[in-house]
Amino acid sequence: MAYGRSAGVLNADGIHVDMQALKAGEVDLGTTIMAVTFKDGVILGADSRTTTGPVIANRVTDKLTMIDDNIWCCRSGSAADTQAVADIVKRHLDQHAVHHGERATTGQAASILAEICYANKDMLSAGLLVAGWHPRYGGEVYQVPLGGSLHKEPWAISGSGSTYIRALCYRNWRENMEEKEAIQYVKESVREAIRNDGSSGGVIRLAVLTARGVERWLFTPDDDYSKPTDDKPQKM
Amino acid sequence: MSAMFSQNPVMNGPNYSFSDAPRTNNGEFREHRFNPYSDNGGSTLAIAGADFCIMAGDTRHTSGYSINSRMAPKVFRIGGSNSDQSDATIALSVCGFAADGNALRDQLDTVCKIYRYRHGKPMSVHACAKRLSTILYNKRFFPYYTHAMLGGIDEEGKGAVYSYDPVGSYEREQCRAGGAAASLIMPFLDSNVNFKNQYVPGSGVGHELKERERHPLSRPVVETIVKDAFDGAVERHIEVGDNLQMMVITKDGIEEIMLPLKKD
Amino acid sequence: MPGFDFSNYNRNLALHAQGVPLPKATSTGTTIVGCIYDGGVVIAADTRATAGPIVADKNCEKLHYIAPQIWCAGAGTAADTEFTTALISSQLELHALSTGRKPRVVTCMTMLKQHLFRYQGHIGAYLVVAGCDPTGTHLFTVHAHGSTDKLPYVTMGSGSLAAMSVFESQWKPDLNEEEAIKLASNAILAGVWNDLGSGSNVDVAVITKDKTTLKRNYITPNEKSAKLQSYRFPKGTTAVLNEKIIKKDDIGRYVSVQEVPVEGGDKMEVDA
Repeated sequence: MAYGRSAGVLNADGIHVDMQALKAGEVDLGTTIMAVTFKDGVILGADSRTTTGPVIANRVTDKLTMIDDNIWCCRSGSAADTQAVADIVKRHLDQHAVHHGERATTGQAASILAEICYANKDMLSAGLLVAGWHPRYGGEVYQVPLGGSLHKEPWAISGSGSTYIRALCYRNWRENMEEKEAIQYVKESVREAIRNDGSSGGVIRLAVLTARGVERWLFTPDDDYSKPTDDKPQKM
Repeated sequence: MSAMFSQNPVMNGPNYSFSDAPRTNNGEFREHRFNPYSDNGGSTLAIAGADFCIMAGDTRHTSGYSINSRMAPKVFRIGGSNSDQSDATIALSVCGFAADGNALRDQLDTVCKIYRYRHGKPMSVHACAKRLSTILYNKRFFPYYTHAMLGGIDEEGKGAVYSYDPVGSYEREQCRAGGAAASLIMPFLDSNVNFKNQYVPGSGVGHELKERERHPLSRPVVETIVKDAFDGAVERHIEVGDNLQMMVITKDGIEEIMLPLKKD
Repeated sequence: MPGFDFSNYNRNLALHAQGVPLPKATSTGTTIVGCIYDGGVVIAADTRATAGPIVADKNCEKLHYIAPQIWCAGAGTAADTEFTTALISSQLELHALSTGRKPRVVTCMTMLKQHLFRYQGHIGAYLVVAGCDPTGTHLFTVHAHGSTDKLPYVTMGSGSLAAMSVFESQWKPDLNEEEAIKLASNAILAGVWNDLGSGSNVDVAVITKDKTTLKRNYITPNEKSAKLQSYRFPKGTTAVLNEKIIKKDDIGRYVSVQEVPVEGGDKMEVDA
């Protein structure tokens, strides 16, 4: 019992449920994150709240993390675990670029990430979304939930706040949205999650990945997330 | 053969158990239960003199690492003829769980007031001390979570201090420290009130040495010792601080003194 | 063999199973803060160390040296903050020597987070990392499990909420040095007064691209009040049952004896 982490019980379905998934005092990204494909690429969105128990450790967190020039991920779960995994994947993708003389595809990035999450699933509490734009494949979204499985989706949501907005997202989703519509779709969905989920909050951060590169938008609660803080996006 | 080790629940029967209920890290069943007690910290001190008695306590009220109040007195006048307690002759100090302390104070005060109404005279400390003991023991299986002390002037005019455990065991004493910093203050009292382990210099060799003789302390000396005891406790105990409340009980009544303590 | 010594692990586990409590580490139930300003960064800490409800040290140092222009404020287990910062400081010094460049704050932060992540939170170090390097001024927090944050003002420790309330109500962009020091020390004072885990004095470190200024005991609002009377015992109060005197010359046959001059510094506190 003393070795490794064997806390938790089997639930009625015979699935091992670890009640102590987060260790005491661990920093949690009690989160709302989403990634959606649209006509010209993908958009990633996230709230910005990081908590340690009842305390907000960071109210302006950037949960959208670059793992390659045009591949980003949304992090939910343990802040330490997701940062470590993202750093490792970033290193693999940089090495890939040096070896092959070209950047990895979004699918390759996602499968490296899933591999790490699967191999260390007993150690990690990380729910991640990978979204990227690649000249060959356009915009793609992959989901890597808790066990380390890999799912390609047209859109995906994750984190504690996502449960509140699942139906909303199904209802409002349309194939091949225009960029303006897609930004509105992501922002309004995250806004609704923040409204309902106590563990989500702060500002809404977006990253738009297209042939033009990466553009970042920021929405603040000062005006109930209605307008972006700047007229033009921040280029990265 | 492989079927023997199959993980398929249909073949092996259900591989879960409802008896495998959530357990704590110690392996005990995890219970969701309301805890009726809490610890509000603070410290109290009582010293009896020849014809007076001093009851003291800090005024900090805490829970965990937070301060709930910097002015929450722990020493109370008991058994006055009305609510302002101006003619009270007995003081009660309570330390530990403050809500229980207040409940205990109210109950004892009511009892003393009823006594005064029925007999036309205030209760003696001796009687009040016994009554407090029975009040505490009445809740033997759901105790008042407090370290109580009672102070007054006895029937011979001497200062009296009684100290209690949470379920009513009590003793008349010369001095006693209670609460969070009791273990810090009590040795100081042993040395400076009861002169423990002290000998008269040059009074003999080896076991012939004479012990330093105890004598009743004067009021200014006791006040000084109380203040210094709390200044020391404040330095080393995080739950003690803010203000020092002292009640000086003499034959003329009860005088209350409030002094500042460190506030960090 | 590098790393920790686990040779008592199984024995301690067996003892713990029999009900022997784990030894209690000195925890710095602390208030630490950091704040970036125009031209540098300031970090500050209180000076109380606690073991449960008892004050273990009234004037400990929670500001740790990493590199000349990188300093760390530490909360959590005192030993862990001390040794983790010392370890990373040493590695960073060697790194700086081999590259011939000044160490960077991000490098320090990354080394800390990777070290702490490896130990899965068992090293209880909660750190505020601050410094100036050729890429600019930086301020980070590193939690024991290995997560990091980058912010213009940060607080950590048991007094973090009290301190953050000061920042959230008074912080503004483009502070000057004087304002930043004032703000950071006020944040620490909020912890000192309102958090029982924090107390005593305020230490401040100001880091600019040119120099670092450590202001030890910048504010001392909690001087011990003087005792109202003397508690000195007359000589001979303690009973002496037997006496044996060993002269310096005699003991000198077994060990070398040297006179050590009594210098200033941390002398034991004794009441008059």
